[in-house]
Amino acid sequence: MSDDEQFAALVGMPVSTRGPAVAPDPVNLPMIRHWAAAFEDWNPVYLDPEAAARSRFGSIVAPPLMLQTWTMATPRITGIAERGGSPVEPDGEGPLAVFDRAGYTGTLATNSEFEILRYLHLGDVVRATTVVAEVSPEKDTRLGKGRFVTWVTTYTDQHGEVVGRQRFRILKFRPPHPEP
Amino acid sequence: MTRRVHRPGVVSGVQVGDELPPLRLAVTATVIVAGAIATRDFMPVHHDRDYANRQGAPDIFMNILSDTAYSSRFLTDWAGPDAMIRRLGIRLGVPVFPGDTLCYTGVVTRVAREDGETVVEVEFRATCDRGDHVTGTAELQLPMEDTNPFR
Repeated sequence: MSDDEQFAALVGMPVSTRGPAVAPDPVNLPMIRHWAAAFEDWNPVYLDPEAAARSRFGSIVAPPLMLQTWTMATPRITGIAERGGSPVEPDGEGPLAVFDRAGYTGTLATNSEFEILRYLHLGDVVRATTVVAEVSPEKDTRLGKGRFVTWVTTYTDQHGEVVGRQRFRILKFRPPHPEP
Repeated sequence: MTRRVHRPGVVSGVQVGDELPPLRLAVTATVIVAGAIATRDFMPVHHDRDYANRQGAPDIFMNILSDTAYSSRFLTDWAGPDAMIRRLGIRLGVPVFPGDTLCYTGVVTRVAREDGETVVEVEFRATCDRGDHVTGTAELQLPMEDTNPFR
């Protein structure tokens, strides 16, 4: 199998062999407050129950672009650099391991497109199912040789209803000074 | 804590060609690290300069989850608390590093009425000295003025 065929075979595969990512915590005010403070976004529907009650949303909602944050992996800090920046133990069987084995150990996000079907309320539990949608041929980029990988994530709530979708594209590249 | 109070008014009579109020952001290491951690993105290129250098970057750089976060703030600072973002897509250009100043600008490119609400499309970008950092498009749903509790 040529390199291109090997990468084309990844299309349609789940990004994780460990199943969908389930948010470790339900949508909650402390994480919303942390986010709002980091970005100095004081939209009152995110933090003020009275303002939120007067709004179309009826009660506090999470910032819609926090959608991806809820299911981000809880990191293991020790050894993070040695794992090539992966916050969690690498999924040795997953599609991204194919890139690492081929030397494309660098990662740079390039595109992120969200479709938001409904805003999340406190207590919602988000689940993310992510599938590889596209892998480009090898390209010369400003960071070195690499391949663009696009994946599509479907976000659902505790009732299995779809709350949003995301197309995310990253460049997997050969870094100039790889980790020893 | 100083909380910036939203202008309770909401955009009214939106027309194609309307420009959004610009959002300027002085990017520091603190801004980058605060955004990365608040979005639960622990990739070392967003908080560890030595690691970023080994990846070929001159410094830590902003993560894409922060870019979508600032994009949404830029949009709703203008559109108000009763606006709903239905779509938001961005493409990254040059990375931003500590010391850069980002400026978000945007323009309304489409206005439509749907089910008693106004749907607007905005094209926006965030630029720094080295060029476009973010180019994006978003679709927002705005309440009609007579039903808007924040008027």
